[in-house]
Amino acid sequence: MRKNILEQIIKNKSLKLEFAIVTNLKSGESQIFELNKKLTGSFEKFQKEIEEFFKSKKNGMIKNSEIFVETYIRPIKVIIIGAVHIAQYLVNYVKSLNFEILIIDPRGYFATTKRFPNLKIINKWPEEAFKEINTNENTALIALTHDPKIDDPALQHALNKNFYYIGALGSKKTHENRCQRLKESGFTDKQINSIHGPIGIKLGGKSAPEIALSIIAQLVSETYNKK
Amino acid sequence: MRNSFDEKILDEAYDWIKTDQKVVLATVIQTWGSSPRQIGSRMIINQNGDFSGSVSGGCVETSVVRESINLLKENKQCKKIEFKVSNESAWEIGLACGGEITIFLEQIN
Repeated sequence: MRKNILEQIIKNKSLKLEFAIVTNLKSGESQIFELNKKLTGSFEKFQKEIEEFFKSKKNGMIKNSEIFVETYIRPIKVIIIGAVHIAQYLVNYVKSLNFEILIIDPRGYFATTKRFPNLKIINKWPEEAFKEINTNENTALIALTHDPKIDDPALQHALNKNFYYIGALGSKKTHENRCQRLKESGFTDKQINSIHGPIGIKLGGKSAPEIALSIIAQLVSETYNKK
Repeated sequence: MRNSFDEKILDEAYDWIKTDQKVVLATVIQTWGSSPRQIGSRMIINQNGDFSGSVSGGCVETSVVRESINLLKENKQCKKIEFKVSNESAWEIGLACGGEITIFLEQIN
C-alpha cells in the first residue's frame, strides 16, 4: 500500500465517509473506492462487481479476480445526556468501539473539558443542542441525568427521530413516572416500551464503571439486533 | 446491520510510518471453516518484529511476524500466505481451531 493511499484512508475515516479499499493481491496496488467514483487500471473492469460488494457492506474477494475489498461504513452516533460520573466511563468504552460520541448537558459545571478531554460537549438544553446535530435511525441516546427537565426533551426527540437505541437511567419508579409523562405528551405505548428503562443489562454491579459496562453491553447487543 | 467497529490498526500504521519505521500490513483476506478472526482483520509489523493487532487468536502471529521481516529484508512489495490445520506436529504453526486462513502481507511505502 502506498503511503498517500494510507493518508487518504485516515482522512476519509476522520471525515466519517463511507468508502472501500480495493487491493490487487497480485500487483499489491490499491485504490480508494467511493460510490459513483470511477476506478482505474486493473480495477476498472471490475467496477460493477466492486460497487455491488460495497453496497453489501462486506469485506472479501471479488469472484474470479485477485481483488480484495474492505468496506468502511459510517460509525454509529451515540448521544449521552448528562456529563455525569457514569458518562466518564461510558466515553472510554464507546471510544474503543469506534462509535461517534457527543455529550449534551446544560449544566456548565458538569460539562467541562477538564472532565471530558477531547470530546464534543454541547453545553445547551437538549432542544437547542439537537438543532445543531444530524440524527436518524443510526443514532443512539443514553439519558443519564434522571432529571425530567433535561432527559425528557431528549427522549422525545429520540422517539420522534426513531433512534435505534434509547436508554434512560433511573429506578423502576422513576421510569414509571417518565413513561406516564411521555404518554401524556402523546407518545404511543409501542414507542414508550421501546425505551430501555431502567437502562442496561443486569450485571449486578452498582459502581459507575459497572453501570457503564451494562449500558454498553445493551447498546452493542441492540446494534446487532438492528436491521 | 454490520457494525462499524474499527480496531484503528491503520491509524496506528500511519503513526509508525510517521516515525520512519518500516511497516508491513497483514490482512485476513479469506477464511474457511472456523477461524478466529473475520475477513478484514489486520495486524501491523515493523522491521524489529514489533506488532499490533491480530489475524488469528494468537495461533499464527509468530509466523506472520517472521514472514513480514523477511518481506522487508528482501524488499518485496507483497505476498500471500496460507495457514491450515496442522496435524503432523502439535508444535508446528497451525490453527488449532480447525480452520484455514489466507493472509495478505504488503509493505506500506
